[in-house]
Amino acid sequence: MSNDIAKPGSIVPRGAAPLRTLTAVMAVMCFLAVLSVGAMLLINRAVAQWASGLASEVTVQLPQLSTRDMEQDLASLTKLLAAMEGVKGVTILDRKDGEKLLAPWIGNDGLDALPIPRLVRVVVDDKQQPDFAAMEAALQIAVPTARLDTHRRWEAELRRMASTLTLLSSIILVLISLSAVAMVVFAARAVLEANRSVVEVLHIAGASDNFIASEINRRFIATGFWSGVIGLSGGVVMFFVLGYWGVAENNGVASAARGLFYLPQEGDWRSLTWFLLVPLAATAIALITSRITLKRMLGEVQ
Amino acid sequence: MLELDAVGLRYGNGPEVLKDVSLRLAPGQFAFLTGASGAGKTSLLRLLFLALKPTRGRLELFGKDVVTLRRKQLPALRRRIGVVFQDFRLLDHLSTFDNVALPLRIVGQKPQHYAQDVKDILLWVGLGDKINAFPPVLSGGEKQRAAIARAVISKPEILLADEPTGNVDPALAKRLLHLFSELNRQGTSVVIATHDESLVRRTKVTVWHLEQGRLQVT
Repeated sequence: MSNDIAKPGSIVPRGAAPLRTLTAVMAVMCFLAVLSVGAMLLINRAVAQWASGLASEVTVQLPQLSTRDMEQDLASLTKLLAAMEGVKGVTILDRKDGEKLLAPWIGNDGLDALPIPRLVRVVVDDKQQPDFAAMEAALQIAVPTARLDTHRRWEAELRRMASTLTLLSSIILVLISLSAVAMVVFAARAVLEANRSVVEVLHIAGASDNFIASEINRRFIATGFWSGVIGLSGGVVMFFVLGYWGVAENNGVASAARGLFYLPQEGDWRSLTWFLLVPLAATAIALITSRITLKRMLGEVQ
Repeated sequence: MLELDAVGLRYGNGPEVLKDVSLRLAPGQFAFLTGASGAGKTSLLRLLFLALKPTRGRLELFGKDVVTLRRKQLPALRRRIGVVFQDFRLLDHLSTFDNVALPLRIVGQKPQHYAQDVKDILLWVGLGDKINAFPPVLSGGEKQRAAIARAVISKPEILLADEPTGNVDPALAKRLLHLFSELNRQGTSVVIATHDESLVRRTKVTVWHLEQGRLQVT
């Protein structure tokens, strides 16, 4: 007789009720979750970039009125604004710049005849912004026809859109998680049904519900983890394919997908760790759901 | 150690299969449970290894009232009882070694701690050369001996055996009975359910005879 101690066999047989189908379905769900997380990251990153551009700049509009001397008003404004605290630079845009801004909306023809307002770009310190109320009041006194546009409305719109899309992505993630929970519940029931005779022997031999649940749980932990890894790999490949697919056109989806992995901004690498949460969440869902289901079902067995 | 007082058992809304059963099993006692097929032997054994709870009466095991026990208290009591089933209930996907080691794995023992004990007990039941064999390739007698080895590996205080000689030839039946007697001499209380009257006649021990769900003690 050999004195070698062989590795003990798995108490719950792996062959009964294999979890291949659950692995495949959960991998698809993890793939969708990765796409959803990626979309959420792209949206938030884009909005953060746009909003930071808007926050570091304000515009003063000066309409063309026959009663006012435009050049004198522009000079007064420039002097006033440049002296204010929190203002880093003041640039007067010439009439051609104004025409360029309008051209996409109304075309190039006839722009000469229009009384296009003049714009003054004011670059502000986005860390220590000026008091915009005081700035507006000072402008009103110096040049009553001047209008200050702080872009707050656009920024609010952008942030509202980002919040809505983030909420939608979150709802999709919740629905994916709920579907995964339902799948694990069905699979746990199937495994227990297929191993009813094993469970009965274990109970009679003095095994607690916790022991039996743990023996079966191991398979679900492995299933959750590997389906998460497969889904994550598939999602990352998908973003890379999207990035290469549209290189020539440099279109929106392609450049956004490329930007997700190739052009991370400072500190943005951390946001990519969100992707790592997908296999972790899949493992946690498989572990916790199967454990609760098994314990509940084992409680029904005498 | 084990005491039943006016115990009744019925399955669902069916008729009582055990009626007013009263008995006592003392430490170190050897008893046969006899009766015709359908008399309630297996039901009584299922009560004794806590697979069922009585529908009436009192069942006390190791000083605890089984009827009022909570579910999480049952495993600790079950570990003090070894059970040999008529149909063996070996796990086909585990080797003979792993089947016998099962009760020890359940209490968290590591292979390096229980390996020698398992090998010794397999030698004791005459399965030293079947240590790595799987149940589907064992004969009926070998399965029965593996089931006995599994039931006694954790040195239970009570051993319950349901028709342990039902599937073996007379020579092996005699050998198995010898194993049970040896175990009993070491202090384990043994209850053997059988309809084999010749087996009972060979020994002078307590006989619990079940007839239509009622128990007579001789």
